[in-house]
Amino acid sequence: MRADAQALKGHLDTLLLASLEGGPRHGYAVKEALRSGSGARFDLPTGTIYPALRRLEAAGLVAGTWAEAGGRRRRIYELTPAGRRRLAGDRAAWRDFASAVTAILEPAP
Amino acid sequence: MTSPLITRYVSGLHRRLPAALAEEAAAGLLETYEHHLAAGAGDHDAARAALAEFGDLATVVDEFTRQAPGRRAARLLLATGPVAGVCWAAALVIGRAWTWPVPATIRLGFGAALLLAVVGLAAAATSRHSYRRIRLAWIAGLIILALDATAVTAVLFAAPDRTWVLSLAAAVSLGRIAVTARTLPRLATR
Repeated sequence: MRADAQALKGHLDTLLLASLEGGPRHGYAVKEALRSGSGARFDLPTGTIYPALRRLEAAGLVAGTWAEAGGRRRRIYELTPAGRRRLAGDRAAWRDFASAVTAILEPAP
Repeated sequence: MTSPLITRYVSGLHRRLPAALAEEAAAGLLETYEHHLAAGAGDHDAARAALAEFGDLATVVDEFTRQAPGRRAARLLLATGPVAGVCWAAALVIGRAWTWPVPATIRLGFGAALLLAVVGLAAAATSRHSYRRIRLAWIAGLIILALDATAVTAVLFAAPDRTWVLSLAAAVSLGRIAVTARTLPRLATR
């Protein structure tokens, strides 16, 4: 099953932050991390990743810097301390939510 | 040589987005295109696959527009506008502002500037397809900043009687000045 942008609404920020947890990445690498990490289920249009990263940057959750590689300038993003805190909070909230839903959908016999 | 399909798309990005945003998105598109070339696709097929994967130009521009900081700033200023407006209206009525020795041209100029700023903010806040329209938030924000500063200065130096309502209105304006002054420099570069 492939999830579209609408289905990811509300979770995209957390997923983008999680994709940067392992270290700095540029937009295309973030998109690839989402795609490969989800088994190709989260295959968003690459062009929509950049505005989302810019919004997270404006919110102080990621920091972007220009870097040159192969004669081309690319913007590299990394988590800020506020971004790491937000990710930790979102992760804990998601675990609580998921375990509650699982308890209802798959009750113990 | 890059495919004409890619070149046309990149030109569209530069035409419709600020330079830094267009450059970043274009680099991502080229990366996608090169990924397909490296996977063995021909030039034309690689370009078509890259464009399909990247999203059509209108979708990408709309997404940048929807998430633009200027759009959110315009909405914030518009949302706080009625609060400031009610405070100032109450203060001016209680203070019988129509009896103050303020020339009619200044009153008219203040009103016209306020109207202009509100129209600019509304245009930026409701923009869904045009990033350029969001740039109006920066100009409108500057006008709001100037109007708030003028109003506060007038209260400090010219108001004949400083009532508590007038002080409250000035405090609201000072808060807006602080928020606007912090936001505007960021909007100027995005």
